[in-house]
Amino acid sequence: MSNMKKSMKRIFWMIALMFFLLMGMMIKLVLFDREEISSSAYNPRLNYIDNSVRRGEIRDINEQVLAQSILNEDGTYTRKYLRSRMAAHITGYSSMSKTGIEASENFELQRAHHEIWQRIKGIVTGEEIQGNHVVLTVDMDVQSVAGNLLGDMKGAIVAIEPSTGRILALQAYPDFDPNKVKDQWERLKEDEDSPLVNRATQGLYPPGSTFKIVTALAGMDYVKNWQDFTYDCTGEATYYNKVIHCYNNKAHGSVDMRQALAVSCNCYFAELSTRIGAINLRKTADALNFNQRYGFSLAYNPSKMVLNENSTESALVETAIGQGQTLVTPLHMAMLAAAVANDGMMMKPYLVDHIEYYNGKISKTTVPEKLRQVMSPEDAQMLKSMMTEVVSSGTGTAAQISGVTVAGKTGTAENATGKDHSWFIGFAPAENPKVAVAVMLENADLGAKATPIAGKVIKSILDKYGN
Amino acid sequence: MFDLIIMLSRFLFAGYIIFFLWQAVVYVAYEQGGYLGNPFTAVSRQKRTLVLLHITAFLILAYIPDTFLFHFDILAVGLAGLLFLLVGMYAVEHFFYEGCPLLWSGMFFLLDVSLIMLQRIQPELAVKQLLWMAIGVGIMLTIPFVLRLVPRFEVFEWVYIILGYGLILSTLLFGKQKFGSVNWLQIGSITFQPSEVVKFLFIFYLASVFRKRIRMKELLITGTLSAGIVLLLVMQKDLGGALIFFMTYMVLLYIATSNEILFLSGMGAASVAAVLAYKLFSHVRVRVSAWKNPWADIDTGGYQIVNSLFAITTWGLLGSGLTKGMPRSIPVVESDFIFAAICEEFGALFGMGVICVFIMIFFRGIRIALDCQRRYYSLIAAGIICMFSFQAFLIIGGVIKLIPLTGVTLPFVSYGGSSVLVSILMLGLVQWICVYCEQHSMQNEEEQHE
Repeated sequence: MSNMKKSMKRIFWMIALMFFLLMGMMIKLVLFDREEISSSAYNPRLNYIDNSVRRGEIRDINEQVLAQSILNEDGTYTRKYLRSRMAAHITGYSSMSKTGIEASENFELQRAHHEIWQRIKGIVTGEEIQGNHVVLTVDMDVQSVAGNLLGDMKGAIVAIEPSTGRILALQAYPDFDPNKVKDQWERLKEDEDSPLVNRATQGLYPPGSTFKIVTALAGMDYVKNWQDFTYDCTGEATYYNKVIHCYNNKAHGSVDMRQALAVSCNCYFAELSTRIGAINLRKTADALNFNQRYGFSLAYNPSKMVLNENSTESALVETAIGQGQTLVTPLHMAMLAAAVANDGMMMKPYLVDHIEYYNGKISKTTVPEKLRQVMSPEDAQMLKSMMTEVVSSGTGTAAQISGVTVAGKTGTAENATGKDHSWFIGFAPAENPKVAVAVMLENADLGAKATPIAGKVIKSILDKYGN
Repeated sequence: MFDLIIMLSRFLFAGYIIFFLWQAVVYVAYEQGGYLGNPFTAVSRQKRTLVLLHITAFLILAYIPDTFLFHFDILAVGLAGLLFLLVGMYAVEHFFYEGCPLLWSGMFFLLDVSLIMLQRIQPELAVKQLLWMAIGVGIMLTIPFVLRLVPRFEVFEWVYIILGYGLILSTLLFGKQKFGSVNWLQIGSITFQPSEVVKFLFIFYLASVFRKRIRMKELLITGTLSAGIVLLLVMQKDLGGALIFFMTYMVLLYIATSNEILFLSGMGAASVAAVLAYKLFSHVRVRVSAWKNPWADIDTGGYQIVNSLFAITTWGLLGSGLTKGMPRSIPVVESDFIFAAICEEFGALFGMGVICVFIMIFFRGIRIALDCQRRYYSLIAAGIICMFSFQAFLIIGGVIKLIPLTGVTLPFVSYGGSSVLVSILMLGLVQWICVYCEQHSMQNEEEQHE
């Protein structure tokens, strides 16, 4: 009999353990996974309209109001976007379901601090119950400069503070007017230019020569004596069935990595990649957050780099110069430039600076978060000096700003949609970087159009925030 | 104004369940020799808390916003429910002297939460459920009399297993399909799940066999017969049911034989069977992939689980407040997913409280099984309690994405006539065993004194 009771107790402990697992999972769900799960675009509760609370405002870092709710006569609210298109891809819209900050911060905007107190006060005084305000890291002055520079060119501009990951500006065109999404819904949805897609975070483009930063980094890590490695560029090189050309078939002569990056010599990097190997190049890319999610308030796509052990040499050399199947987002390229600027530490990009309550109290200030050390500080230093040369004497001279050392890399990406895309990624000042940018222009026609625009964006930020 | 009241009621509901559970702690502490308060007061406080919870919830449900009026039909259901609670709680104490009071209050608590939630989600089901609860408690009250008439019901082991097989096979012949499983029978206008009734028979059968010394022969026979039932359930696509029967068998086998090797090899065999099922049946693969990453196919396989997670996480610890959530967005919310609805409107804290009520029922049930000196009854009590607990774990675990979802009901809470009826009867049987053993051990002591 006692034997049976002993076994019984064992079984009971097993079941008790199952109950504790349930409790543990509940705690995990509610305390840790809550934000991520509940702000999913699929949650029907996002569209729950509670007219008893006035939805909070979305503001920029200077407390300029971007979105606010106006009380109608019938007791409902209308959401107004005061800067219309200028911040459309950041705020998102809220009339046909929700996107952007309206979606990711929906529950914060809809939540009223001290709700009970506010409601009691509301009954007595008739005041509205005010939801929490979301204050962004974005500076509308910079955002407007970027927006005006972009004009009606399809593309995207992203500006990040390298040491923290704060997004200072994030522009994409085509865009939309969030005030009119409901009226124009059918047109916006079917428009071939897909204005509702945020090109800065969701657009996947071939990186062109900007990818050479990745190849250069892999070379530093995987090719012995890379500093002594030179290549005699004749403007053209053949790898099996793949012919690699330098831009305009220009022969660069004997170049080392520093010179090759400055003049953007395709043949050098193609040859370098054969010494790196497909697997190693992939490893370097993965370490730089390709093929991975990193967490961001807006809908985004991870960049893709698909080399593997079975890749052919022609796929390898194509990838090394930024063509092939590699696809990147402007946001990720800006993060990459920022990581070089920040001694190899990639910071998690973020858009929400803090939450402000109805009574002006500030809360939930975002603490900058490290994603990971994506390259050694020595490699970062080396890349930085090479990228400085790109702007001082190479392909990126159009990004120069008087009195400031700018570092960067240009890119021209061949693609299936027609004319080449134009890229520039970089940061400044090189000695003590305050800002990193990525500029991408779709089918930009001739030349490196992105480069001067990047220079102007950087200048506007440095002018405002000093050196 | 009403918004404010609902807001405040969220705190009230959380307070109710915390107070309710605390009174259970007070009671247990006294029993263990500590003293946190009078145990009898604690039990009567639990009952009063339950009545208050019931009244608060139904007043909120019945109120018509911006008026001074109430929906009278909802108030009527509320009154009927209140009557059921009061009469039920009074009656059980007089029909089962010395049953465990915490088990009773736990059961009525879960039944009442079920009633409130169903009234909120799908009012027409609440009335039906209340009827089933009343019938269940009514039949349960006759248990002491029936078992006095049939004192040694362990001798009918063959009757139980044959009846059990008969019922399960009958669904294969005349079964109706519902929610993807072919395990429903229709008699007149009532559909019911025979596998619920078979739970009873199965435990009776196993306890009858295991009460004696077990040799290889019995082991093989019970093993084969149990495996047969499990396989039949798998064939009906009732995976949750199959798992519950299997676990009950393993648990009783281990308790009866204390043989670890048997237990572990049984579990090993089950793992192999699980892998086979995964390879063979597409609906198993769908369940597993929906559990591993429900976000991947949110429109089809993952839809239920993702919506359940939305319901649980959106409103946080205190929930949206009764009537303020969107529980109807979860498919089958009245049955398998009722726990998600509870978490949504009463809050995750209340949901954890409901888990604690199950833990309370579990621990009190264990005590009865451990204290009972008659092997047969001890095995029955252990079997029933393990079955309850495992079933609660399966469905709550499935709803919160701890384990892959298997469609079983949450005992006492999910909508379902046969489920609620059988759950009530099972708990009644455990209580009867408790009463029996206490009287019996007293007699033993008296005999020893003489």
